Amino acid sequence: MKNLKKKLALLAALACAGTMLAGCGGGDDTTGGDTAEGGDNAAVDNGGDSAETTTMNEEEQAAANEAAAVELADDGDKLTILCWTGDDLNGMIDMFCSENPDYAGKVEWVQQGTAGGEAREQYKQYLSGDGDADLLVLEADWILEYLTDEYTVPLSSLGIDKSAYNDAYPYTVAIGTDEQGILRGATWQAAPGGFVYRTDLAEQYLGVKTPEEMQDKIGDWSKFEEAAKTVAEASEGKTAMTATLGGLWQVYQANRTQPWVKDNKLVLDNAEGFIDLAKSYYDNKYVTDGTQWNDGWYALGQDGSALGYFLSTWGVKDTTASVLANVEGCKDNGASWADNHGLYNICIGPQNYFWGGSWLAVSTKCDNKTIATDFVNFFTTNKDTMQKYAETSGDFVNNKAAMDAIVAAGTNSNSLLGGQDQFAVLAEAANGINMDGLITKYDSAVKSSFNTAVTDYATGVTASKDDALNAFQDDIASKYPELNWD
Amino acid sequence: MQSLKPQGRKSISYAKYGYFFILPFFIVYVFFMIYPLINTFRLSLYGNGGSADTMVGFQNFKWILFGGSRPAKAIHEEFIRSLGNTVILWVGNFVPQIILSLLLAVWFTDSKVKIKGTGAFKVIMYMPNIITATSVCGLFLILFGNTKYGAVNAMLLDMGTITEPVRFVDNVTSSRIIVMFIQTWMWFGNTMILLMSGIMGIDLSLFEAASIDGASSGQVFFKITLPLLKPIFLYVLITSMIGGLQMYDVPYLFHEGAGQDAIRKQLETVAVFVYKHFHLTSPNYGYSAAASVILFFITGILGLLVYRFNTSSDDRAAAKSNRKKSKNSKLLGGF
Repeated sequence: MKNLKKKLALLAALACAGTMLAGCGGGDDTTGGDTAEGGDNAAVDNGGDSAETTTMNEEEQAAANEAAAVELADDGDKLTILCWTGDDLNGMIDMFCSENPDYAGKVEWVQQGTAGGEAREQYKQYLSGDGDADLLVLEADWILEYLTDEYTVPLSSLGIDKSAYNDAYPYTVAIGTDEQGILRGATWQAAPGGFVYRTDLAEQYLGVKTPEEMQDKIGDWSKFEEAAKTVAEASEGKTAMTATLGGLWQVYQANRTQPWVKDNKLVLDNAEGFIDLAKSYYDNKYVTDGTQWNDGWYALGQDGSALGYFLSTWGVKDTTASVLANVEGCKDNGASWADNHGLYNICIGPQNYFWGGSWLAVSTKCDNKTIATDFVNFFTTNKDTMQKYAETSGDFVNNKAAMDAIVAAGTNSNSLLGGQDQFAVLAEAANGINMDGLITKYDSAVKSSFNTAVTDYATGVTASKDDALNAFQDDIASKYPELNWD
Repeated sequence: MQSLKPQGRKSISYAKYGYFFILPFFIVYVFFMIYPLINTFRLSLYGNGGSADTMVGFQNFKWILFGGSRPAKAIHEEFIRSLGNTVILWVGNFVPQIILSLLLAVWFTDSKVKIKGTGAFKVIMYMPNIITATSVCGLFLILFGNTKYGAVNAMLLDMGTITEPVRFVDNVTSSRIIVMFIQTWMWFGNTMILLMSGIMGIDLSLFEAASIDGASSGQVFFKITLPLLKPIFLYVLITSMIGGLQMYDVPYLFHEGAGQDAIRKQLETVAVFVYKHFHLTSPNYGYSAAASVILFFITGILGLLVYRFNTSSDDRAAAKSNRKKSKNSKLLGGF
């Protein structure tokens, strides 16, 4: 009898342990299944080590691009795109699949976070796991982190040559190129920005009636400041020229002639200039005390606290969800609007600049070569499909010929801008953007530290300009101790 | 004929099966608690950013504690600042919190006062603790927004009290006071319930004897309630201190603007320091781990000190010998 009890107890214990092991077993199975895929990837990785570091002329670059191409598998189930902008991807995939019925249901996106910064972190986790990923959507601020052999393969692996982007806006190609001069990312959208302003306030305070007149008033930084002064004085400080310091910086940084980090050292370049400008603008009420991306930001335009916003293509899209739609008080998906609906116009502003935009890169895990090639070509090299996408989505596509055709046809009218064609204004700005050699992998971290330091100085949290610069440099020093700080 | 059987087989110990049953817990515990703990110590000796695989000895500790070159000085100042913030925020929420909860606990348990609806009060006061810190912070950010769109600013502007909006979130003093208030508001109910259970554990006959002898309520509080509450009080103090040193969510969340650089410097606690450094583009695991280890030792030492100061040597001797007899010293011995 005692023996039986003993056996029963042992059995119970074993059963208990067994459940645990069963759990482990399940896990083992999945990993086992994926090791096979992992094997393919390993082969892919090995091919990508042929990058050249020296400066090359175009022919050599083309050759290097060619040589860097790696063999990709084509036996995958679905084309999986990692992104943080699922809504945009939805529209793209719908259009891609309706034009290519064979691929219907074979393209899907996986959301990673809701903002670019979150995606940046979560991609790494996702990619180190065994989830499928064919294409990655990347953002300019941190794209260089991913344009390496570890995460992506050169676009030449899809058989797409750099020359396919002769019609793209040059700055987008510069950003999609890695440190060795190999093209790894391409974008379907260019994001040139302009100055979006309330026409009633502009007429009241500046006496301008058309976007051309407005552009004359704010065509460079000194004119812009003068106009800001006029507005502030005429409105007795009630209306500021522009909404936020963050937006102002987005434009001003296009002034930079050097990258943030050069020869392993932090380069201030025009940073000091902006600190002065920010402080004087803030003190004189040329800019409001608001912050981008919160409710107050949208309210600034509605109650006339700010005359205008610096927004780029995606911010002025003629939808009910864009930034401008929010500024114009869009409620209930466009069922009702505030009084200033359609009251805005757009002009280039003091400087050509770009803000945001997403690039597509091919993951090292890509196992759907054919669909991936077709998808990338469909949105980044094929003029006809890109033009169609621009017309249906209101996105500013990265193809000069397509955009020129739309502008020439004069069919685009944006209801948020009172019928103005934003493409006509922004196409001009897009050509004037130069990002050659200005992108570093430190950019997103440096920019956000800088913005905080500038805002703290302007609002009086830090007492002096030196304190602000020190705080900024200390912040970067603690983030990147490996930089040269002598 | 059982008596003839060998001694060893006479009684079967089931204890070992017990171990089998608790095994799953320990396996999970080892993987998810012990291993990360040890790994933190290991990582604190390794480099940061791109050189996370190189052993650097005690360099992280040296930099954090003593500074040196520019990045070292920056890290050092950042850490000292966050340590200072932690202490300020903890003291600022613990003192009002303990006074408030002690007062309420005494009132609610007083047999003479007999407040009606204590249960409802307890629930209401505990309520803020149930809401997540995220929601609470969101609520307070709406109330105390920096610009004229913040509720408090809008109200004050409307009443004409101020002409320019106050930057409540950015301002060092106001933001700290708000965070202290949030912490107090969220945790006083919890502390109150702990203290109430402590007070209710005190022998009622002591209170009765005191009132028969004509003691005033002040005397009862200081001579009976407080001394006998000491073990629970000590427990509250130590847990609150450990929680306070690890304070993270509210200071981290209380800022406007996007990205971790928007976190207000005057609210950065050590836990926020740790998080910020391992959440960078190229994570500074070394600093994070070293700061965690330093925090671990600070917490340990402070915990020990508080315990020493609050128990006389007699207490400790008594606690040792009476561990089984007295309920109170049993609690003490538990530490």
